[in-house]
Amino acid sequence: MPLAMVMEGETRTIREFRGEGDMKRHLQDIGFIKGERVRVVGENAGGMICVVKDVKVALSRGLAHRIMVED
Amino acid sequence: MSVIIALAGNPNCGKTTLFNEITGSVQHVGNWPGVTVEKRDGVYRKDKEVVIMDLPGTYSLSPYSAEEIVARDYIVKEKPDAVVNIVDGTSIERNLYLTMQIAETQIPMVVAINMMDEVERKGDKIDCGKLSGLLGIPVVPIVARTGRGLKELMDAAIDVAKKGQKPNRLSVFDSELADAISSIADALGDGESEENNWKAIKLAENDEIIAGTVPSDKRREVESLVRAADKAAGGDAGARIADSRYRYIAKLVGDCVKKSGKGYEETKSDKLDKILTNRILALPIFAGIMYLLFACTFSENFLFIPELPSPGVWLAGIVEEGWAFAADKVIGAAETLGASEWAVGLVTSCLDGVGAVFGFLPLVLVLFLLMSFMEDSGYMARVAFVMDRIFRHFGLSGRSFIPMLMGFGCSVPALMASRTLESDKDRKITMMITPFMSCGAKLPIYAMFAATLFVDSSQTLIVFSVYMLGIVAAILGALLLNRFVFKSENSSFIMELPQYRIPTAKSVLIHAWEKVKGFAVKAGTVIFASTVLIWFLSGFNFGGMCGMEESFLASIGNGIKWIFAPLGFGDWRASVGVVTGWIAKENIVATFGQLFGNVSEETVEAVMAGEEALPAITEVFNRVSAYAYMAFNLLCMPCFAAVGAMKREYGSWKWTLRAIGFQMATAYFVALLINVVGNMIF
Repeated sequence: MPLAMVMEGETRTIREFRGEGDMKRHLQDIGFIKGERVRVVGENAGGMICVVKDVKVALSRGLAHRIMVED
Repeated sequence: MSVIIALAGNPNCGKTTLFNEITGSVQHVGNWPGVTVEKRDGVYRKDKEVVIMDLPGTYSLSPYSAEEIVARDYIVKEKPDAVVNIVDGTSIERNLYLTMQIAETQIPMVVAINMMDEVERKGDKIDCGKLSGLLGIPVVPIVARTGRGLKELMDAAIDVAKKGQKPNRLSVFDSELADAISSIADALGDGESEENNWKAIKLAENDEIIAGTVPSDKRREVESLVRAADKAAGGDAGARIADSRYRYIAKLVGDCVKKSGKGYEETKSDKLDKILTNRILALPIFAGIMYLLFACTFSENFLFIPELPSPGVWLAGIVEEGWAFAADKVIGAAETLGASEWAVGLVTSCLDGVGAVFGFLPLVLVLFLLMSFMEDSGYMARVAFVMDRIFRHFGLSGRSFIPMLMGFGCSVPALMASRTLESDKDRKITMMITPFMSCGAKLPIYAMFAATLFVDSSQTLIVFSVYMLGIVAAILGALLLNRFVFKSENSSFIMELPQYRIPTAKSVLIHAWEKVKGFAVKAGTVIFASTVLIWFLSGFNFGGMCGMEESFLASIGNGIKWIFAPLGFGDWRASVGVVTGWIAKENIVATFGQLFGNVSEETVEAVMAGEEALPAITEVFNRVSAYAYMAFNLLCMPCFAAVGAMKREYGSWKWTLRAIGFQMATAYFVALLINVVGNMIF
């Protein structure tokens, strides 16, 4: 399921990124890679806040819809 | 022999703090060529032979943003003698990702593990000696904010630079991937060469910029090898490479870092974020902070207390008065010395030009003291998150809000505030549209027309509508620029939210001081030169000194007035007003006062405040053309001070002129539209 649908406070494992090129690479650079644990710590209407590799990251909901995590 | 040391690291890793600590105040700030990315260099405090180059904060050496391209080009092409890679010890895994990539270039380097105090507070332990042994790179623990470990760090960096000591070649990739990469390197020529090896990795990662540098005779072979690498990696070599790096890092961290093992724990930052990014509270809190930012800089009735000037306005007043006093003395002295009329005029205009620069400095200073506080505290990163949903519709970042809001006060600090935007594209677009906001100096123009031509109708509504017009033009302009000029599909944003920290006074002060100095020097020359030029044009003709009515400027006004005829004000006086408005927009009123009936200075003041009318302008303007004229002056090239600020921020005349061109075209189009449509209706 997409990361965008994970509830606040939950931790999931990243499976894949739907989309390509620059954004995929940038996500990898920031730490969003397959198998990594990601925890959702906050959200608002436009986006969400996650913790990945000990770093807090804000991302838009559109992007969070393209990051797939394990159910 | 001088040594060049470059600082590289993730955004928010404390790189700038480190830079400020090791260079002191001897810094030079400018732009990297062609982009609006800040370039800073300085000299090591304890050894003037050591040049420190602060590279932009990046997560990797892949070309995702202008910052990353700048940083990697510098490391790979300019080849500094050594790189100091700053690693935030509190998120060491993610930070080491860049370390791996810098090590791949085989440049001599040192790793500085920053924020060791926070690491210790968390109860974690980092074995720097062991990490150093595994990487073949000196690893120095530091606390940039307090200066701990900086001497050791610099000693290590200078040592590495002088010896040219390269990092270990790490076996990060599995044999399949390593084979694929080395075959690409072989195809590029000598597979043993560091440069080819690095390029091969980048090619396997599908790096388009590096792909473009492959000579055409080798291109086909390289492309098929890259495809083969993708196949060997199960479809996506880039992902596998990233994965391998992270695996390698995980092993390193497992060997060298002892975590207190408490797992996820809510920090003070997290608690603060629960409030500041809360889905309901975030916007009101942001609005409150923005109000304070604006009020502290521009307000005449600070905190709603009548007549109490804000710190910015108060300081500006002092500077202006001081300058006027000094200028009076100088002019008086020149007169008593019997200087000729034109010489006194020249001195006056020069003093005005310098005074114009000085008058802006307090605003710039106050705004940037506050903004650097917001930036360094970590709040600014949250602004994008809070505002993004609204601004994304216009193709802008949430942070564009700050320059645009400041634009209602004064374009000069507003344009400079665009520096805090994340992307080069957003910075460029925001700077083009920020002057569309009605700044304080444009209000007297509206007041004049409202009092003269719109007496019976709602004057407030007219003035308000001009403000709204600016906002609408800015939004439409941003949409158009995104669509047709920058051709970006504005989709998603992702950014790190650093821990909240109380900024050090030193870094806030250095930042604000840099802005003030940069503006005074870089923008100052533009402002000064153009002020003197307009003074000359408006006070002289071929016969020598004369009134404005017979000056070169009047001839120019007559020469260009046809341009404005379709807008409804094809009159030389109106044209001259546009030109003198570029010195400062409120000058238009004074110019009209002089050209339409030569009224007294007191009358001009009253007209500016909207208390008195200037009936003579009805010779030229009716309501429609007056509105078109207001729109034109709102949107056309801002005053020279703002142009100077644009020039400084763009770092190039090319982009400055493009922005002016865009503003002129918008102004002309909108005024034309108003005149044509207005005349159909009224």
